[in-house]
Amino acid sequence: MPTESFLRLEGVEKSFGSLRVLRGIDLDVSQGEVVCVLGPSGSGKSTLLRCINLLEPPDGGRIVLEGQQITGGAGRVGIDFVRRRVGIVFQQFNLFPHKSVVENVSLAQETVLGRNGAEARKKAAALLERVGLAEKLDEYPERLSGGQQQRVAIARALAMDPEVMLFDEVTSALDPELIKEVLDAMRELAEEGMTMIVVTHEIGFARDVGDRAVFMDEGVIVEEGPPKQVLDNPQQERTKRFLGLVLDR
Amino acid sequence: MIDVAAVELVANLWDSTIGGLWDDTEAFRTQYFDLDLMTDGDRLDPVLKGFWETLQLSALAGFLSLVWGLVLAVLRQLPGKALAPVRGLTIAYIDAFRGVPLILVLLLVSGGMGALAVEGAIPREIGIPRWFGKPDPFWYGIISLTITYGAYMAEVYRAGIEAVPQGQMEAARSLGMSHGQAMREVIVPQAVRKVIPPLLNDFIALMKDTSLVLVIGFTEVVQAGRDIQSEAFNSSMLVVAGILYLLATIPLARLVDWLIARQQQRYTRVGGGGAAEPAPAGAAGTGQAGGPV
Repeated sequence: MPTESFLRLEGVEKSFGSLRVLRGIDLDVSQGEVVCVLGPSGSGKSTLLRCINLLEPPDGGRIVLEGQQITGGAGRVGIDFVRRRVGIVFQQFNLFPHKSVVENVSLAQETVLGRNGAEARKKAAALLERVGLAEKLDEYPERLSGGQQQRVAIARALAMDPEVMLFDEVTSALDPELIKEVLDAMRELAEEGMTMIVVTHEIGFARDVGDRAVFMDEGVIVEEGPPKQVLDNPQQERTKRFLGLVLDR
Repeated sequence: MIDVAAVELVANLWDSTIGGLWDDTEAFRTQYFDLDLMTDGDRLDPVLKGFWETLQLSALAGFLSLVWGLVLAVLRQLPGKALAPVRGLTIAYIDAFRGVPLILVLLLVSGGMGALAVEGAIPREIGIPRWFGKPDPFWYGIISLTITYGAYMAEVYRAGIEAVPQGQMEAARSLGMSHGQAMREVIVPQAVRKVIPPLLNDFIALMKDTSLVLVIGFTEVVQAGRDIQSEAFNSSMLVVAGILYLLATIPLARLVDWLIARQQQRYTRVGGGGAAEPAPAGAAGTGQAGGPV
């Protein structure tokens, strides 16, 4: 496993009103590492991802990406720095419904990276082919299945050449038969060496693809380690109880 | 079995009410539907000219209100603490001009700007505008309608912007777009599509309200009809003015209905197609207003 620290969280805290969602999260992620985050609903997993790309600015602690602190006084500079390097895929896809598939993937390339139309489209087409959607370039999102939409969302994030990819329960809104195609795309990405933080309920994916599993509950990291250890031989009572419930399904 | 007395009673009632009115129909018809007067070219001409002015007022003020309303709606959605004063001023503007009668705005604009120009406080070409060969009351009307209907339409746009799921802004921002880019490329195009029917409704209301410009001495279709009414003691030309309005507004109303029906159809299709409408994120991820999103 790589050792160099690429993304570091130190004592990250976040509250919504009186609700303390994150209560001091420490996490080190190395380049090329795949970290799978598990835990019950409301444990703060999604908020953790949203803090990392500053969709929700943390209230306390600090986040350092590639040696650059992106929280605290970093302000706008921090937001620009992190959004150029971190891609995110959401549970609800959030594709732009008024844009075709290829436009979804090329829009930010043009507006943010300043690529010209032809260049952006070429890159979009290549990425869409990679996720198995070469036939769907000019379709609109509403004509696609959930699994196809989610693969477009992955291509859209990859088009920005991110260094880290965040996945926020990306298969939770999908029908069971559509989950595999999305997980396969993610697995391929992991094999190519992408640094990934994956919030998921897919125990199998965490075991096979993850370099590390992190179990969260009530805003803290309860247990972390190699997936086989955390998933097959958990040390903490809360982890055991959660895994029992998930695996019993 | 039919009661003879009851039949008589109804017949009497009829004669003393509707039947009686029916006998007076002649006078009524002449007052409102005098076909000779309605088709009198010398009298019809000024009314048609007036309607042409109504159409010009409606088209220009309608276009400017659509643009100004969108500007106001976008200003109202600007992010961050630093821009709070801009948001506050925009809200104050919208509240003020939604809350006072258009006729008051008309009087403030026409009398005020004219007086300021005469006093030399503002240039004459602006205070007493006579652009493109149109008299100053026309332009005071355009300005007043735009000020007022811009505020109404800003609220319609706002409803549309707020109806775009939060996830759209988050997706755009997480791809590195600025707030402005996200608004222009992602939020506003979706919002405008959602609010075309209510915007058209506001346009119909604006079209009817152009008639108020007659109070500052501009002859549009209602004033033209009124001139004939006072000259001929007959209201038929005002009925013509009403018919001309209906010829424009009823097709617009049908268009609105058709657009709404089409939108609803589209919704059901999307819902049935298995494509999830983006829902707000779960409890832990619920966005807080004022964040850097």
